[in-house]
This record gives sequence, C-alpha cells and structure tokens, in this order.
Amino acid sequence: MARALNELRPVYVVGIGWHRYQNPSETPYVTLGLTAIREALADARIEWPAVESTYVATALLGMASGRPMLRHLGATGAPLLHVENASASGSTAFRHACIEVASGISDVALAIGVDKRNPVRRSDTGIDHLADDAIVPFTHFALLTNEYASRHGASADDIALVAVKNHRNGAKNPNAQRQQERTLEEIMSGKKISGSLTTLQCTPVGEGAAAAIVASEDGLRRYGINPDRAVRVIASAGRSERVYAQGIGFDTALTWETTEAALTEARLTPADLDIIELHDAFTVEELQYVEAMGLCKEGQGIRMLKDGALDIGGSCAVNPSGGLIAMGHPIGPTGIGQIGEIVMQLRGEAGARQHRGARTGLAHMVGVGAVCYVHILQSRR
Amino acid sequence: MKPLKVLKSQLYSERSITDLVLRGGHCRCGYVFFPMQTYGCERCGGHGDALTPQGISTHGTLLASAVVHLHADKSRPAPFTIVKVALDDGPVVRTLLADDCGDIAPGQRMQAKLVPLHHDDGEPVYDLRFTAAA
Repeated sequence: MARALNELRPVYVVGIGWHRYQNPSETPYVTLGLTAIREALADARIEWPAVESTYVATALLGMASGRPMLRHLGATGAPLLHVENASASGSTAFRHACIEVASGISDVALAIGVDKRNPVRRSDTGIDHLADDAIVPFTHFALLTNEYASRHGASADDIALVAVKNHRNGAKNPNAQRQQERTLEEIMSGKKISGSLTTLQCTPVGEGAAAAIVASEDGLRRYGINPDRAVRVIASAGRSERVYAQGIGFDTALTWETTEAALTEARLTPADLDIIELHDAFTVEELQYVEAMGLCKEGQGIRMLKDGALDIGGSCAVNPSGGLIAMGHPIGPTGIGQIGEIVMQLRGEAGARQHRGARTGLAHMVGVGAVCYVHILQSRR
Repeated sequence: MKPLKVLKSQLYSERSITDLVLRGGHCRCGYVFFPMQTYGCERCGGHGDALTPQGISTHGTLLASAVVHLHADKSRPAPFTIVKVALDDGPVVRTLLADDCGDIAPGQRMQAKLVPLHHDDGEPVYDLRFTAAA
C-alpha cells in the first residue's frame, strides 16, 4: 500500500442523519433517502449545492437508484456513484467518500445508504456445491455458534447475553428498528431459527437510510462549519478474504487483519477504543469480533460481557446503537449508520445512550463474499 | 455392477453406498480444494496445467453442526441438520447430515454415505450425506 488515509488531507465527518430503520413498509426509498440526507445537511448546517460528490450505498434497490432520489434536492450536476458491497456497502461508500476528500478532489462529499427489503439475487459462478441451497447466512452463524460454544465451554444462554445488551441499547435509540428491552428468558424462548439462534439473536433486515457528510479543512472554512462538532476519520481499512488454515474461521481472521491495519494506521491499541460499532448480525459474532479485535483473549468475550465491560459506561461500549440485532440491518445504510452513532457519541450528543468521555470509536462491517471494512474516528475535544 | 443413480455425479463418485470419493483438485502450489474447478487456484492464482483433479477422502472431523428449524425453500422442509466437517485431506465442507445419524458433537469422526432420496423410472436416486464414522 502506497499511502494510508491519514497520510492524506485530514477528513472530518460534519453531518449525520437517518431515516429510522423499520419493518418493510409502503414508504418509497426516495422518502427514506431524502429524510436522511436533509437531516445530515441540517446537522452540518450546509446547503445541498455544497456537496461535490455523492456515494450511494445500496444492495437491494437494483440499478441506478440514486439519481431518481437525489434530483429532489435540486439537480446540481455533481457526480454520483453507486456502491454495492453486500453488508459492507455503506462502509465502503463511506471509505470512498473519505478518500475523495482526503485526496483533494473534493472538499465536501456525501455517503448515503438506502435500502428496502427485496429478494437477494446472486449470480451463478458455475461451481456447484454439495448443499448450498440448504445453508443460508443464519446457518453459517449457527455453525459458528456451535463451534464457539464447544471450543470455549460456553452455553447458549451465555452467547445470548449479547442480545440482552444490544436490545437494551436499542431501546434507547429512536432510529432503531427494535426499541424494546428483552430479558434473557424472552430471547431464549423465542422462535428457533437455526441451531441455538432464536429470532431475537438475529438481525431483523428491514428498511431505512443513513447519511454522513465528510469535509476537508478547506470545506469546513468555506462553509463556516463548526469545527467543534467535526469528528476526524483517523483510519480507514478495507480487506477481502484470503485462504486461511483449516479450522480458522474466515470471519474472525478477516476482522483481525482489517482491524489490525486500521489500528496501525491510527497508531492506537485496542485499549484506546471507547466505542465500537460492529457487525453483530448474529449474537456469536460480537464475541468473536471483540476477541479478534484484541479487546480480550480468545474465549474471554463472555467474561467481559458478564462484567459489564462492553456496556455503555463500561471499559468500551460495544454497539451502543443497539447494533445490527436491535438497531437493524437494512444493508446499504448499516455501515453509515454506525459512523453516525460514533459521531454522536464522540460529540457527546448521544443522550440516554451517551458513553461518558468517549473520544475514540471504531466501526466494523463484514459482508458476504467476504469483505471487511474498519474505520476509526476521533473527536477533537 | 451397474452404477447407482446419484444427484450430483459431478461432485462425487461411489464404489459403494458407503465408499465415496469427492471430486476435488490440487494445485501445483500444494493447495487442495473441493470441488474441482479450472478457473484458477484460490491460494496462488495458478491455472491451466497447474490444476489437476484429485479424489478426496470423505473421512474427517466434525467442526460444528446446526439443526435448521426454519427454511424458506419448501422443497427442503425443516428441520434438517447441517454439518461442517474438516476433511483429512484438507478442505472444509458443509452439507447435510444423514437423517438416521445419532447425536454428534464437535470432534466426532465423520464420513459420507449415499442415501436414497426418491425414485426415478423405478430406480432410487441417491445423494451424499455425512454421518458418524463407523
């Protein structure tokens, strides 16, 4: 790699916005997207013509969905690009918006994620497998749950504690799809999906939108943006799956590599992180990823969870938004929504979810394929 | 002996119902993969002459299993069990567990066998399932 993001011009998140994540509805995606963008523009206190470039993250809307939405902001003629990268679509769009600003090509860029629940269609590779039709994502993670439980002597109840925490956080988040606290008993007695996974341990895929506006220091000055509310992006890393040794799960190996690259870029260690928003589409993932990221040794994630170390107010608040399990996972928006949550936390504007003294936050998404994206943000306070 | 009718003959061949070989391949770099393909090696990118078909033993060790309780495709009614097996020859495969297999836990030695699915022109059609090793 010739250069990392933080060796280029400094990039700041200056505006964030959402359309609440929700169950599938009749609301057109145009309404979802415009709501998030207008909220982000208002948050940054800039007007739409200031945005020089737009990255539209969407996995399920089909071809060329951006312009029919963006034209209602006033057609400025600025370039736009669609990004599809499975669950990491939003994170990828955000990275490339940052790169465009860091490189000096634009001073203000927008990453907008918007999606509605539509059937997922993946093209045939021409390579057959023994029973691919029988193995959907929740079974992939049910297998990992069984493997984790067996390797570390963890019970199904222990692993489900991730969902208790994340539903508790989501209950305080007005943008979350699920806003209800749940007891362990409620979670475990719910409908069984695959293996020990129950409905409330799996992300609900719905619809929604999230927007993040990024700007350079020139952009901040030109538009009079309040620098005290600007949050710097101090690292950005993206990787894809390699071939790992037999028995090494690619999900954790890829997370480890990508997080390591981002921490190195930021010259930080895992202990420096106050906030982590990570890809907890299924409960076991949160344990595997906090371990892969180096918050604790392998197999110690449940100990941290039980000690409250991963709670808001703990040593590192993991998924204070409610994560994918409670906030939801509308696909395109998810990675951008994580950035928004971290920005709120680092500004001290997260209200009932505020993790006191939050200064540094990390956002992590994986996407089938498999890809992984990690960003680290730091407040100027 | 007349060959058995199997569902996916491109993926495995059989000497008998309990003696199966997976149709995999290896690369000049030493990487062993399943199923056989000629697009290129995932580890080193070698293609063409670098890739050679290789029979892969179905013997291996169970890494994980999961009973699927909910499945959208009505042609495969739930519940059924998916297993993840680390094969002795290298690849890790995920597929269905034979219905008549008893309780299993990670670490269990496994192997594949053929099970009859349905009849076609009066002849049974078989597919591969994993089961606890004899």
